Amino acid sequence: MAKKPNKSQNSMSKAELKERAEAHPLAVPFLWLGHEKTIKNFIFVPMIGLVLFSILGFFFPLHHPADWDFFASYTLIGFAAYSFVVLSAWPLFKLLSRDEDYYGEDHDD
Amino acid sequence: MIDFLTSFSPAFVLIVAGIIAALTPVYQGRKVLMVGVPALVLVLINTMYLKGGDHGVLGALGGYFSVAGIELTTIRIDRLSIIWGNIFAFAGILNGIFGLHEKCKITDSSALIYTGAGIGAVFAGDLITLFMFWELLALSSVIIVWRGGKDSYPAGMRYLAMHILSGVLLLAGAVIYGRATGSYAFDHIGIDAPGGKLILLAFGIKAGFPLLHNWIQDSYPKSSVTGTVILSVFTTKLAIYALARGFAGTEILIYIGGVMTVFPVFFAVLENDLRKVLSYSLNNQLGFMVAGIGIGSSLALNGVAAHVVVDILFKGLLFMSMGAVLHRVGTVKASELGGLFRTMPLTTLFCLIGAGSISAFPMMGGFISKSMIIAAVFEEHHYVVFGMLLFASAGVLEHSGIKVPYFAFFSHDSGKRPKEAPWNMLVAMGIAAFLCLYLAFPWGGAFMGYKGLYAMLPYAMEGEAAFHPYTADHVVFQMQLLMGAMFAFTLLKRFGLYPPERRAQILDFDWTYRRLGLSILKWIDAMWTRLGAQTKYLLKLLFGRVGKRLYQVFSPAGTLSQDAPSGIAAVFTAGMLAAILLGVYYF
Repeated sequence: MAKKPNKSQNSMSKAELKERAEAHPLAVPFLWLGHEKTIKNFIFVPMIGLVLFSILGFFFPLHHPADWDFFASYTLIGFAAYSFVVLSAWPLFKLLSRDEDYYGEDHDD
Repeated sequence: MIDFLTSFSPAFVLIVAGIIAALTPVYQGRKVLMVGVPALVLVLINTMYLKGGDHGVLGALGGYFSVAGIELTTIRIDRLSIIWGNIFAFAGILNGIFGLHEKCKITDSSALIYTGAGIGAVFAGDLITLFMFWELLALSSVIIVWRGGKDSYPAGMRYLAMHILSGVLLLAGAVIYGRATGSYAFDHIGIDAPGGKLILLAFGIKAGFPLLHNWIQDSYPKSSVTGTVILSVFTTKLAIYALARGFAGTEILIYIGGVMTVFPVFFAVLENDLRKVLSYSLNNQLGFMVAGIGIGSSLALNGVAAHVVVDILFKGLLFMSMGAVLHRVGTVKASELGGLFRTMPLTTLFCLIGAGSISAFPMMGGFISKSMIIAAVFEEHHYVVFGMLLFASAGVLEHSGIKVPYFAFFSHDSGKRPKEAPWNMLVAMGIAAFLCLYLAFPWGGAFMGYKGLYAMLPYAMEGEAAFHPYTADHVVFQMQLLMGAMFAFTLLKRFGLYPPERRAQILDFDWTYRRLGLSILKWIDAMWTRLGAQTKYLLKLLFGRVGKRLYQVFSPAGTLSQDAPSGIAAVFTAGMLAAILLGVYYF
């Protein structure tokens, strides 16, 4: 027997209702994770975390710092290292990518 | 009964179980063996260990055999090997649970033998025993690779070639070492010992040293759903054990480890196949361990042992989650996935715990063990390698912490609505996820949380090896690194600078033998064929002409048989006589 829609479900769009119907019961409370607005605003989570932990770094400095360390040094290292890895993927892809069947062995999906 | 079972290496129990599994037609019976026998072996290992060795020291030495005058020691359980033995047996149980749905006799049998070979090698007290289990490990695991389907056959052949080469190098090194020192005991060897370099190279192949690493990314992603999970545990971690046992404190390993942590990061970001991404990630984590072994201090070696334990758990968990996706969706190509959290929420949760652990978020496995290694590298003033490890830590967050869960379970909605993973997969993932959290839990008594992990380690976590992970500065600066990297991800995504996932073959060093080497061989073959044809033609021409001339001279119709040339024959004979006379006269 199909479940009766509750009050909040009445205000949902058809697409949302379909998504709810298809979702695993445990996933229903977390469907907002896939919404456009959530994805767009997710940037604020690491941004706030970054600012918060950088400030905390001022109050809890490293016990054994290296010569280059300062209160937010690891924030900078994390940001720079990650950006370098991801941005290097553009030229590396051009340099190293070939057709999927380049070696003549891959026949899967 | 227990006395009988503890009189020989526990590896043989698994190997015999593997043979029985191959002969057992009932799949339920095989599954009982798959889960029950590793559990029995876990009990046996700890019984042997707790019974104690000489002078009240915990451990066991025994299982002696004599082959060709060489005494073999198949049981050597001590503070170092017990950790590997325990985690291998435990991983065997998890693999058994994860593969309960699979009705493949060959995989079941090979997995048991493979687990046995791994445990046998870890408990080997001499290099010859190590070699025998080393080879059995290769042979049993290649069968698991080949169960991945017809595409896995060439990869399996390359895998086998590399591992046989590793075995041959190990045997050659062992023989040189044994003849020079008069002992085949597998203790500290060192790079300068006779045969040491060969043995190091043999271990290096299995540990995925740079340029020797391609067999991992070539074969692991091509195995079956269960096969990849099984493969990810034993071979590489055995090599780490062998390096820790034989080459602790070898300086070159610090730099090799540093390179191993960095280079896979660049390949992982390019890859579209998420199991291949995890294979690069495996290489990257092995780098941390190799660097720790190179440092060789108590803290570093404790860090290596702890990282092996948690890596088997979190990497197994990540491979299991991708295995579940492959099982349900039929692909693990990032470009084909997305939005699966809607129908696979538990798999998503477990994958996120694995991703958090490998990224070393506080309260998760990697936070304890990886930090121990990095701290040990810093303490020994290897600042360049320290920088490489920090860089690689941000890279790990990219490929395993963000890329794998994001593209599989979130990202755009692929429209795919697969069922949640089968219950047995969820149970295996759940246990691994629980342990990833438990082994980093900061509160409790002596054996609770991370202190429980500490209790297993080869050196007491005090004095030189003391390490307190939950200090305010450590938590804050680790979170800075992770938040900085996560912010970079969201920023690059927002501005369209994050490269899209595209289907492609990414070239790695294996290009040198899969393409360049093969092309050279093909060229040599073609040249040889051409040369053969050309030589054949020239010889035919030469023999044809000589034959024709001889025929013209000596045949019944030839010059010497004609009437007129009887004079010529007389002249010829006179000439010969003159030559002989002159020869006799002068000499």
